Amino acid sequence: MAAITDIYSEHGQLRRPLAWSLGLHVGFTAFVVLYAVFINGVRGTGWGSGGGGDAMGATLVSSVPLPANPTETQNVLATESKGLSKSQPTVQEKEPEAIPIPDKNAKTRMKPAPVKSATQRKPQPEPEESNQIPYGEGGPVSKLYSMSAGGATGAFEFPGSGGDFGTRYAWYVRVIQQKVQDNWMKYEVDPRITEARRVYLVFDVMRDGHPANVQVEQSSGVPSLDQSAVRALQRIDTFGPLPSDYSGNKISVEWWFDYSKK
Amino acid sequence: MKRLLYWFLPFILSAAGAAQDWVRGGTGLGVERVRLATSDFKPSTADANNAALLKTFNDVLWNDLDNAGIFDLVSKSFYPLQEPGQPSEVNFSAWNSPPPNASMLAFGNLGAAAGKVTVQGWLYDVKNEKSPQVLGKQYTDNATSDAVRVIAHRFADEIIFRLGGGIAGIAETKIYFVSKRTGSKEIWMMDYDGANQQQVTHLGTISLSPRISPDGSRLAFSSITKSGWEIMMYSFDLNRMVSFPRFGGMNLSPSWSPEGKVAFSSSRNGYPNIFVVDASGGNSRRLTNDQGPDIAPTWNRKTGGQIAFVSGRTGLPQIYTMEADGTNLQRVTDQGYAVSPNWSPNGQFLTFSWMRKYGPGEPGSNDLYLMDVASKQWVQLTHDAGRNDFPCWSPDGRHIVFQSHRSGTDEIWTMLADGSNVKQLTFKGENTQPNWSWK
Repeated sequence: MAAITDIYSEHGQLRRPLAWSLGLHVGFTAFVVLYAVFINGVRGTGWGSGGGGDAMGATLVSSVPLPANPTETQNVLATESKGLSKSQPTVQEKEPEAIPIPDKNAKTRMKPAPVKSATQRKPQPEPEESNQIPYGEGGPVSKLYSMSAGGATGAFEFPGSGGDFGTRYAWYVRVIQQKVQDNWMKYEVDPRITEARRVYLVFDVMRDGHPANVQVEQSSGVPSLDQSAVRALQRIDTFGPLPSDYSGNKISVEWWFDYSKK
Repeated sequence: MKRLLYWFLPFILSAAGAAQDWVRGGTGLGVERVRLATSDFKPSTADANNAALLKTFNDVLWNDLDNAGIFDLVSKSFYPLQEPGQPSEVNFSAWNSPPPNASMLAFGNLGAAAGKVTVQGWLYDVKNEKSPQVLGKQYTDNATSDAVRVIAHRFADEIIFRLGGGIAGIAETKIYFVSKRTGSKEIWMMDYDGANQQQVTHLGTISLSPRISPDGSRLAFSSITKSGWEIMMYSFDLNRMVSFPRFGGMNLSPSWSPEGKVAFSSSRNGYPNIFVVDASGGNSRRLTNDQGPDIAPTWNRKTGGQIAFVSGRTGLPQIYTMEADGTNLQRVTDQGYAVSPNWSPNGQFLTFSWMRKYGPGEPGSNDLYLMDVASKQWVQLTHDAGRNDFPCWSPDGRHIVFQSHRSGTDEIWTMLADGSNVKQLTFKGENTQPNWSWK
């Protein structure tokens, strides 16, 4: 029984450590206060006032990856463009103004309420930053446009985007462009639309030149515009056989359509 | 192991990419025409005939490419002094930068030797120095002017086929028409550019509305015979008239379907109505049944499933469409005086002659119009240029041949299907009712 010791009955000497602890705390606090008051006060400069002279690690802007396609979409579902859905401003409902009860003796007539005609413009999607001529903007789309419009080489170059068909057979890409343009009947688009987002189609051009598997990759939000683009492709019987020295049996094409009446 | 994978990743990706070529592009602003330079071909032998043959070849090639309507031909005054005759002689920077600023260059050489002529022709994408060749061709034939003309037509058609998106060129097509230059109205034919005009029929009566069959072997037309106006048939295989049934009454304006049936207007039952028969004249079927005169049928050249025609059932002639079995009749024009419909090769458009305002106090003129069949939207093609009638599409759907009185007499003219680039083809006598071959 003698082996059992009562651990609670053993009292250590705490006075010394407590004194040390108190001393250190007081000392540190005093140091901080004194440093702040004297040392910094003497310098007289605060944070961020410049003149520090020390270099900061800076990232070059050119190496910052730009977003692929800075087009805002109102589609809140996942799309290919990353997270650019726009939150809609909450519409503040106004209280309807009270209509004064016509006085029998009053000579002024009540104005008839403006009739809403069928031709009145429906609420349009919010005008967004124009994406007609994205010249000089970041992203592959604008690069493409500037290359095709500049016509310096007439070639489309996409490093690492699958094959060099566009570079080797730039003339064939031009044929596609011409043919699609000729067969796109813009009057099929709803005449009330003056401007719309780009619609992207994907399709294949088979060995004998006929387009196949036409699909809307990204809608413009205007059904008649999407439809007119698809019809343009459907109207085309052939783009002409693929170049005879091209080894593949089809090419895949992503094609956009810009619509604007302005 | 992981590091090894990273090393090989680019190669794996590029292999996957090569399996599927992607092309990206778009349509928004207009597309400019291809700037095409056509360097004069050079002699490759020292034959005395070369100079004359080269002149024919270069002129024909230039005209064909100019008429195609899809190129912006670079004026020859902009060309560099050194014109190539061989691929090794092409100086890219001299062609692809201003003043020529061409994106395509056609060049080659021609040489006559011992009665034969050999032509080598190339088409180069001069803005793409790495792989410039789009086309390379060699032709051999007798050293005559006609043969060289055909070679130039063929080479032009090859270029148009490649750069025009798979639609065959029209340089070797023919136009059939009615000419009164011998005194009576006979059927004549010529090349698409007005060259080689020759007489087909020698009937000595009045022959009208020639229509060539889709395979180019037969020509149907209407002619006065002892039994009145009948449909007649001429065979180019036999080079003579072949028999075709006489139906009695007045039989006018035949029209071939893509499958080789013939629609025409016949009044054998009293009133002129539209009938369809086989190429041999059998299996006659009546498609319209009304009192108003129905004439000038024309088939939807792509599907063969619809017929447009002119009917006077409501008074002035108007254009109607119906299915090939006579159902689903629809009126297309809403006013005036509309005649001579012709359906485009892609089945999308009708062109016709229309006097939109007709009647006393409304001096209308016969002008040519183009109508989108589905939407019924139309465009006026000719303006203030005399009476224009009998439009007919070229097989490539880019040109329209028509009859016009703008020069004082009725002559044959062509234009691009947007109304531009109007050219006169005939100058002698009175020439009317042109019909363009199917290929």
